[in-house]
Amino acid sequence: MALKKSGSKYDIFTKIALVLVVAIIFFLIVLPLINILIFSTQPTGSVIVRNALSDEVTRQILWNTMKMGLSVAFLGTLLGFLMAYTQARVDFKGKKILHIINLIPIISPPFAFATAIIVLFGRSGIITRGIFDWRPTLYGYPGLVLVLSLSFFPIAYMNLLGMLRSLDPALDEAGSSLGANKLRVFRTVTLPLLIPGFAGSFLLLFIESIADLANPLIIGGSYTVLASRAYMAINGDYDIPMAAGYSFLLLLPALLVFLVQRYWAQRKNVVSVTGKPSGRSTPVTSPIARFFLLSVTFLLTTLILMVYATVLLGAFVRIIGVENSFTLEHFRFLLGGFANAAVKTTTILALIATPLAGIFGMLIAWLVIRKVRRGGEALDFLGMLGIAVPGTVIGIGYAITYNDPVKVAGVTIFPQVAGGAAILGGAIAIVMVYVIRSSPAGQRSGISLLQQIDPSIEEASASLGAAGGRTFRLVTLPLISGAFLSGLMYAFAHSMTTLSPIIFLVTPDISILTQKILAEADQGRYGNVFALCCMLIVLIMIIGGLINLLVRRFQVSTDRPLVTGR
Amino acid sequence: MTKKRTVAVGIVATLIISLMAAIAPAHAARDLKGSQCGREGLVRTIKGVTYTCERVSGKLQYAEGRKLSGTLNVLCTPQELWCVEMTKAFQEKTGITTKFIRLSSGESLTRLIASKGNPEFDVWTGGPNDSHISGRIQGVLDTYKSPTRNMLKAQFKDSDGYWTGIYMGALGFCSNKNELKRLGLKAPTSWNDLLNPKYKGNIMMAHPGTSGTAYTTLWSQVLRLGSEDAAIDYMKELNKNILSYTRSGAGPTGPLGRGEIATGLVFSHDCTAAILRGNPLVVSFPKEGTGFEIGGIALVKGAKNPDAAKAYIDFALSAEAQNIGPAKAESFQILTNPSARYDRRMVNLKKVTLLNYEAEAAGVAAAKLKARFDKEVALTSSAK
Amino acid sequence: MTKTTGKLELRNLTKEFGNGNEKVVAVNELSLTINPGEFVTLLGPSGCGKTTALRMVAGFESPTSGQVLLDGEDLSALTPDRRPMGMVFQSYALFPHMTVFDNVAYGLKVKKFSTAQIKKEVNEILDSMNLAHLTNRAPNQLSGGQQQRVALARAMVVKPKVLLFDEPLSNLDAKLRAQMRIEIRTIQRRLGITSIFVTHDQDEAMSLSDRIVVMRNAVVEQSGTPEEIYRRPSSVFVADFIGRSNFLAVSEVKKSNNGAVTVEASGVRLDVNAHPQALKSTHPHLLVRPESISVKKSGTANENRKANEGIVKSVVFYGNHVEYSIDTPHQTISAVVSDPVYDDIVPVGAVAKINFDESRAWLLPSDSAVITTEE
Repeated sequence: MALKKSGSKYDIFTKIALVLVVAIIFFLIVLPLINILIFSTQPTGSVIVRNALSDEVTRQILWNTMKMGLSVAFLGTLLGFLMAYTQARVDFKGKKILHIINLIPIISPPFAFATAIIVLFGRSGIITRGIFDWRPTLYGYPGLVLVLSLSFFPIAYMNLLGMLRSLDPALDEAGSSLGANKLRVFRTVTLPLLIPGFAGSFLLLFIESIADLANPLIIGGSYTVLASRAYMAINGDYDIPMAAGYSFLLLLPALLVFLVQRYWAQRKNVVSVTGKPSGRSTPVTSPIARFFLLSVTFLLTTLILMVYATVLLGAFVRIIGVENSFTLEHFRFLLGGFANAAVKTTTILALIATPLAGIFGMLIAWLVIRKVRRGGEALDFLGMLGIAVPGTVIGIGYAITYNDPVKVAGVTIFPQVAGGAAILGGAIAIVMVYVIRSSPAGQRSGISLLQQIDPSIEEASASLGAAGGRTFRLVTLPLISGAFLSGLMYAFAHSMTTLSPIIFLVTPDISILTQKILAEADQGRYGNVFALCCMLIVLIMIIGGLINLLVRRFQVSTDRPLVTGR
Repeated sequence: MTKKRTVAVGIVATLIISLMAAIAPAHAARDLKGSQCGREGLVRTIKGVTYTCERVSGKLQYAEGRKLSGTLNVLCTPQELWCVEMTKAFQEKTGITTKFIRLSSGESLTRLIASKGNPEFDVWTGGPNDSHISGRIQGVLDTYKSPTRNMLKAQFKDSDGYWTGIYMGALGFCSNKNELKRLGLKAPTSWNDLLNPKYKGNIMMAHPGTSGTAYTTLWSQVLRLGSEDAAIDYMKELNKNILSYTRSGAGPTGPLGRGEIATGLVFSHDCTAAILRGNPLVVSFPKEGTGFEIGGIALVKGAKNPDAAKAYIDFALSAEAQNIGPAKAESFQILTNPSARYDRRMVNLKKVTLLNYEAEAAGVAAAKLKARFDKEVALTSSAK
Repeated sequence: MTKTTGKLELRNLTKEFGNGNEKVVAVNELSLTINPGEFVTLLGPSGCGKTTALRMVAGFESPTSGQVLLDGEDLSALTPDRRPMGMVFQSYALFPHMTVFDNVAYGLKVKKFSTAQIKKEVNEILDSMNLAHLTNRAPNQLSGGQQQRVALARAMVVKPKVLLFDEPLSNLDAKLRAQMRIEIRTIQRRLGITSIFVTHDQDEAMSLSDRIVVMRNAVVEQSGTPEEIYRRPSSVFVADFIGRSNFLAVSEVKKSNNGAVTVEASGVRLDVNAHPQALKSTHPHLLVRPESISVKKSGTANENRKANEGIVKSVVFYGNHVEYSIDTPHQTISAVVSDPVYDDIVPVGAVAKINFDESRAWLLPSDSAVITTEE
C-alpha cells in the first residue's frame, strides 16, 4: 500500500514539531557522536583506528568481538525461531505462559543472567559440579555466548513470531494442494518467506551483543571485546581519545549492520502481499517434529526459570551454593543506606524519561509516516540512532560533550548537564540518555501501526477543522495508543536496566541501581547482586503494571487494522 | 519570714542568677583556639566552626577555626560501605552536607582529568597512592599539609603535600580451604608456589589495567626480581595458571568463595572481609616478600569547597575516623594514625615480609609497564 | 470431451467444532454426488458451511463423520497433498518469493517432472491464458486479475481430477469478475475437470454452474440447475437469495382434481404452479418475480393477466429498465419493466395497474420449517 503523505503545506504544529525533533536528536545523540569522532582523531585515538588491523592486540580484540557477535546472532536467532515456530504452529497447553516466559529476559537487569549462570553452571556450579561433577569454565567466550544468546533471543522470537503469524495460511495449503508434503512446504514455502525475519533478527542480535558492556565485564574474563576495551581505556589508561578510538571501531560495524538490517526489515512487506489472508494455519502434527520442538522449548524454558529461581533464592541466602542459610542481610544492607538513594533516583529519573521517550518516539513516527515528504527516511534513521549506537559509545560521548557547557564561537548553546558540577547534579544527562535509548522502540512500533491506519481518518479530522496538533492529540494518538503503551513499558524497563552509558555519568548526587549492581558483582558479592536484581524486577513489574493500567483507560482497540478498501 | 522578705529574696536571687548567666560563657560558644587537643578528636566542630589539631612548639592544640559551609563532594575509591560510613560520620560531625561517589582508582583518575576544567569533586580519598602520584603528574591535585601529618610515619606522606596516607594494605594470597584440600595443596607461601602446574586454571587476579591491586602485584615482581623484564617473564608464567583477570582488586573473592578457583591475589584485608561474610577462605603471604599499598587522600585542584575538603582530610587522618573502618565498615586495612586502634582482624605486619615499595617509582613506570602487560601477557590467557 | 474420471461423492459429511455447550455444527450431513466434468457451485451466505465443506473435500478439515469418495475411493485417510485435487484460494496464495513461472511450476516440480517438461507445460498454459509476458514477474507486480489467472494456471497445470475454488473472485472489481467468470467457465468446459466452486455471489453461481447447491445453516436447502433454482425454488430462503422476489400473502389455496392449483393472493385469483410441499404447508407464499409483473397506467386495457391496483411509491429509470415500488392494499410490490416506452412509465404518486403473469408465479411452502417427507 502506497503511503500517502499529507499533500498540503506543513502547518504550524508540524513545523514546530519538526524543529523540536531535529534539535532533540542533535543534542541527544548526534553531537556526542560528532565529539567521539573528533576525539578519535587525536593521537592516541587515531593510532587505534589506523592500526586496527595491523596491531596484533587490536586485531585480536576485533576478532573476539566479531566472533562473539556472530555466534550470539546465530544461536539467538535459532533459539528465537524454534520458540516462535513452536508457539505459532504447535498445539500444546500453556502457550500463554510460555509466551510470557520467553519475553522475560527483555526486562532482565544486567548481570542477572551472567551471575545466575555462573552460580548454576560455572566451575562450582550447583548443576554442573553439584549434579554432574563437571567444572566447565564459562568465563570468556562460552559464557558470553550463552548468556547473551539467552538475553537477546526474545528479540528474534518476537520478530519471527510476528512474521509467522502474518503469513497467509493459504500459502501452506496451496503448497499441499499442489502435492507437497508438510516438510517440503516448510522447506520451499515457509522458510524462504521467513528469510527477511531471519536476516533482520540476526543483524539486530549482532548489534546488541557487540554493544553489550555488562556481560563482558562480569563473565568475559580475559576475552576482551571492543566494548570492554573502550571501557578499560577510560578506567585503566585514563585516555579519552583512546576510548574514542575504540568507540569508533565499535561504532562502524554497528552502524553498517544497522543499515543493512533496515533493508531487510523493509523486505518483510513481501510476505503478506496477495489479497486477504484467510483461515488458520495448520498445526504441526508429525510426532517427531512435535517431540523435537517441544523438547527444545521445554529445555529453554526450564533454563530461563532456573536462572530466575537462582536470582530469587540467591537474594535470600547468605552465599548461594556455599552457605545456604536463609538471611535477610542482603536486603537489610541494601535498604539500610547502601541502595536507598539509588532506588529513589533511578526510579524517578526513569519515570521522568518514560513519557518523554514515548511521546518523542510517537512524534517521530508520525512525522516520518504522515508529514515529512522528503527526508522521511533520514529522519527515521536518525531517530533510530539511539539503539544503533552502542551504549558504551554513547556514555563516553556524553561524558566528553556534556561535562562542559557546549559552546559555539564562545556562545553557550547548551549548558553542562553531566558530571557532579552540572545542573541538577548530572540528572539531566542521565534522563537524556534514557530518552534517546528507549524512544526508538516506540518509534518502530508507532511507524508500523501508522502504516496500517488509513490516512483518510486523519484527513477527515483535518477537513472538520482540527489543526495538526489537535488531530495528533485527539485522533492519531488514541489510535496508536497500543504502540504508545508498549513504547512506554519498554522505555521504563529499559531505562531501569540500562548500564553501559550510565557508568560514565554517575555523580555524587545521582547514584543509579545498575551501577550499584556492577559494583557488587565486581566485588563478587553475589548476594547483593541478586537482591538488587530482585528489587529491580519488582520495581519494573509494579510500575510497569501501573503504567499499563493508566494508559489502558485511554486505549482504542485496534485489533482490526483500520484499513479501508483501496 | 514576712511575705515582703520572701519576695525581696526571690528578686535578688533572680538578679544574681541572671547576672551569672550573662557573665558565664555558654559551654557551646567556647572558642577552642589555643586549647589543648583532647580525647574528643583531632577535628572538632562547634557551632559550624571547625577546629583542627596542630602541633605548635611541641604541644597539640587547636588551631584557627574555620567556618564551613556549602556542600562537600568526595571522590571515594575504597569499598562503598566504607565510603558510606565515612561520609555519614563527617556529615554528623561538621554539619556539612557531604556526598560521594565510589569509583575504582583508574575511574577516579579519569573522572578528575575529564572534569579538570570544572572540578566536580573537592577531595579524593582512598585508592593506592601511586594513582594519586599519577594525579599529581596529571595536574589534578593540589597540596594540603594537614597538621595531623606530623604524627604519621615518613612512608605515609609525600614531601610536597599532594597526598597523605590513611590506610595501608598488604598484598597476599587468599585461598579456598576446600579447593586446596581437593587439589592436595597447602596454602601458598611463596610466589613460586603459584607456578605449580596443579594450580592451572585455579588462580585469579585483577587486571593491572583497571586495578590498583593488580598493579601492585605487578610492581612487586619488579621489586623482588630486580627488573621489568623479569617481572613480565614471571607474569607470563603465572598467566598459564590464571583462569581469568577480574576488573577490580577484590573481584577474585567472589569465585574464591564459591570454590571455582583455589587461590586469588588480593589484598589481605579484602580476604578477611570475605571470610567474615562466611566464605571458607584462608590468608597467606609469600616469604620472598610482598607488595603493599598505601591508601592516600588528596585535595583536588580547583575544589569548589577547599575549606571543607581540608577539614575532611584532617578528619580522615584522625584516629576517630580511621577507627570507623574495622568497627563499622568491614574494612581491615592497617591504619596510619598511631592512635588508631589495632583490630585483631587486621594483618600482623610483624609476620609479613614487605618489599621496599616506592610509590613514586611505581607511579612513574605505570603507563608503560601496563602497556607491556597488555601486549605480552594479558591477551594470551589460555588457561582453562 | 466426456470425462470418465472425477466422480466425487460426499456422503453424510458432517463437521462439528468445539464440544459440550459450545459445539458448533458447521456442516450437517451433507450428501452430494458430482459427476465427472460437472461444475457445481456451493452457494450461500457466510457461515452456511460451504467453505468448510470444500475444505473437507480438499482435506484441510477432517470430517467429524461422513466420507468423501473420488471415483469410488475413500479419501479420508489421504492428506491434502496426496489428493489429486487443485485449489484456487480467495487470496490467490501465490508464493510471494517466486516468479510467476516458478509458481506455476511448483506442482510439477513436486511431481518430479524434468526441467524440459516443466518448461513446456508451464509456457503452454501461461500462453493459453495470455500470461506469457508475465513469466518472470513477481506476484506483487501483478494486478488482481493477473494474480487470479496465475493461481488458476498453477492449479490446472498439474492436471488434477477435481478443481476446487474458494471464493476466488471476491477480491476483484465487478467488471473483472465478470470477465474472469467467462474465462474460468471456458477453460473448465474445455478441459472438462470436475469443479466445485464456493461463493456467496448469486450472479457467479448462476453464470458458472451446471448445478447449484444452496446451503444455509450447515444444510443443503436446494440443489438443482440454475433454472430450477431460479424458477422453482424450494423455500422462501432460496427464492430470496437468488434474484429478487415478491412474496404475496396467500389467503386461499385450492387444488383441483387434475392437479391445477388456484390461489387467491393480493386480492387476485391466479392459477399457478406449486411446490409439492406447498400444498401441505400451513402458510404458503406465492413467489412472483419483479420481472413478471407488468405495470401500466390505470385505465389501460386488461391483458391476459390478473390485475391489481396500487400507488407508485418510487420509480427509478435505469435506461434499459425501470424499477417500481408500488404500494397495494396488501403489501408493497417491486416490479421491473424492461425496455420501457417512456410515455408509459407511471410517475410517483399515480395509480398503477399491476398485472401478474401467473405462468411465472410459484407457490412456496412456508419457510424455516424442516420439510419432512411425512408432511
